Amino acid sequence: MIEINKINKWYDDFHVLTDVDEVIEKGQAVVICGPSGSGKSTLLRCVNGLEPFQKGEIRVDGISVGDPKTNLYKLRKKIGMVFQRFELYPHMTAMENIVLAPKKVRKWSKEKAQTKAMELLKRVGMEDKADAYPANLSGGQQQRIAIARSLAMEPDYMMFDEPTSALDPEMIKEVLDVMVELAKAGMTMLCVTHEMGFAKEVADEIIFMDEGKIVERGTYDEFFNNPQTDRAKLFLSQILD
Amino acid sequence: MNFAYQFDWSVLWRDPYGLMLIKGLGMTIFLGSSAWIIAMAVGITVGTLRITKYRLLRMIGTAYVEVFRNIPLLVQMFFWFYAGPMLFGEVLSRQINRLDGLAIYVSILGLGLYTASRIAEHLRAGFASIGKDQYQAVLSTGMSQVQMYRYVIIPYALRLTIPPLTTEFLTVFKNTSIVMTIGVAELTFQSYQIDAETFHGLEATTGAMFIYLLLGMSVVKFMDLVEKKYKIQGLMGR
Amino acid sequence: MFDVISRNFVFLMGGLLTTFQLAFFALVGGIGLGMLVGLARLSKNPWIYYPITGYVNFLRNIPLILVIFWFYFVMPIIIGEAMAPFPAAVIAFIFFEATYFGEIFRAGYQTISKDLIAASYSTGMTYSQTARHILIPIALKRMTPSLITQSIVTFQDTSLAFVIGLTELVRRSSIVDNMEVRSIELYGFAAFIYFIVCYTGSQISLYYENKARKVNLI
Repeated sequence: MIEINKINKWYDDFHVLTDVDEVIEKGQAVVICGPSGSGKSTLLRCVNGLEPFQKGEIRVDGISVGDPKTNLYKLRKKIGMVFQRFELYPHMTAMENIVLAPKKVRKWSKEKAQTKAMELLKRVGMEDKADAYPANLSGGQQQRIAIARSLAMEPDYMMFDEPTSALDPEMIKEVLDVMVELAKAGMTMLCVTHEMGFAKEVADEIIFMDEGKIVERGTYDEFFNNPQTDRAKLFLSQILD
Repeated sequence: MNFAYQFDWSVLWRDPYGLMLIKGLGMTIFLGSSAWIIAMAVGITVGTLRITKYRLLRMIGTAYVEVFRNIPLLVQMFFWFYAGPMLFGEVLSRQINRLDGLAIYVSILGLGLYTASRIAEHLRAGFASIGKDQYQAVLSTGMSQVQMYRYVIIPYALRLTIPPLTTEFLTVFKNTSIVMTIGVAELTFQSYQIDAETFHGLEATTGAMFIYLLLGMSVVKFMDLVEKKYKIQGLMGR
Repeated sequence: MFDVISRNFVFLMGGLLTTFQLAFFALVGGIGLGMLVGLARLSKNPWIYYPITGYVNFLRNIPLILVIFWFYFVMPIIIGEAMAPFPAAVIAFIFFEATYFGEIFRAGYQTISKDLIAASYSTGMTYSQTARHILIPIALKRMTPSLITQSIVTFQDTSLAFVIGLTELVRRSSIVDNMEVRSIELYGFAAFIYFIVCYTGSQISLYYENKARKVNLI
């Protein structure tokens, strides 16, 4: 369970997150949307401690992220993260990208890590590209490898930071298919995305953020068919045309 | 043109001068390669210090680079060779000065430390070209800071830095010539020595120039192979 | 402790003056020749392009010390009499540094668009007028940080004239050191002087680099 309790974050004078509250239960998929600069990506980075926050508390399985005594490296093993621009290691093959952390962090043997990696490559439909380098793969293929890289650490949670926004339209589906499959298999997910089709299919809850605050929250139907605030209405009209 | 000068190109192969040049080349290659190993080790360390999140470490890295690249290598070499032993106090310094091959050790160390500052600078540019999300992606897989640098960021930056490092690698061999001033018998020293014995310095230095040219071309070939082996697929195509 | 410096201060500063004089001639000559070398490196005339490219690639592979020796040996043969270290060093430096400045100018010329050059020709200007009024001023401006950096390198390089007996700063430090054996102070002092000059230079270069970056952003 991830509990976010009234967190606040500033970059110098700029208030990026204001009193953000949220609880994500095991097995839930939560979609975060909102205009750019609304603090969505920053919120994800606070959850796994990549960015510090100044006020409030985040607990992952009861472990406080903001506590200086918490071993963030240990915590991050539980939480996989997928980035907008894939961020594959360009000097390593797909296989090497996936096995690196299991070998170095989990201290798995090479064989074990590779077996696991092959299994994951199959799961994301990329088993024939194990030896390919990132630059020779399409964006959609790179993103699927990146998902496999996160899954290789056998995380309890997965976070997605606009995983399809850097992709050409014809590649979006192949990535979303993998994400839908993950959600249906029971993965706890926190996704920043504007893909409303995806939200409809898997989201247990949708959060709408604007200017660092959660402005609206609800199920897909509540949010989509009956938005309460003008800002959400405007946002929906913009992303739907 | 003064035609009174009698050219004698045989100083390039005549006994014992031919052998002197070959020995000199051997020493140049030995000094350059040894210094390169030190330079890479220190350079990677200093370059990484400059981008850590600890201010003190960053300042140490910056100070290192500024000091070593703003003082001529010749002055650094004289300092290490003549003043270096004195820094250990009178008794120890006398023992150090009696060491066999002291000038060679000082040459390698001096050249290595100097080149390290240049490698650190190139590496810093390499680090800067790697996006912030790439660092976060590594950390998000649970790796520690040290693991992040060791397994992903440094190997990546080094590959990005291969072209400027090639130039530096060439420069190391050229810079070895400076240690002739502290009496190490490398290639330039030997060609000068031939002049002292035969007064045919022009032929000797011309010959040495072509040997350096061949050495440089071999280094470029070697680095081409390195680059082919390590180049990042699709990213640095030529 | 630093009495050795104060007692020999005038002598050492005389060496520094020689260092500055050599650097001045090396820079004026090296940059001047470098402008032309850069043009030649982009020339379509093979009789210009190949010899100059050969000269640049050759000298860039040779250590400066050896180049200094070579000129020191060859000049007496050309002029028929012995040559003093200072003019010999100046000639060696001009030919050597011009290859490095030449490559900087070449990179600078290459940033200039073909259309801009065409525009210059279309107003009736000749090649040499275009080079003088368009190419060189633009390259000078755009490459200022690299030119300053290379000038700092040249300034440091002048210490190598030591090897043909030019009594510049390092040579004079070593002369005093031979008599008084005060290596830490003497070479430390020389290092300090070089550091001050070169660090100041590198900060100026950085200033121009940041300024250029800001202009490019707009």
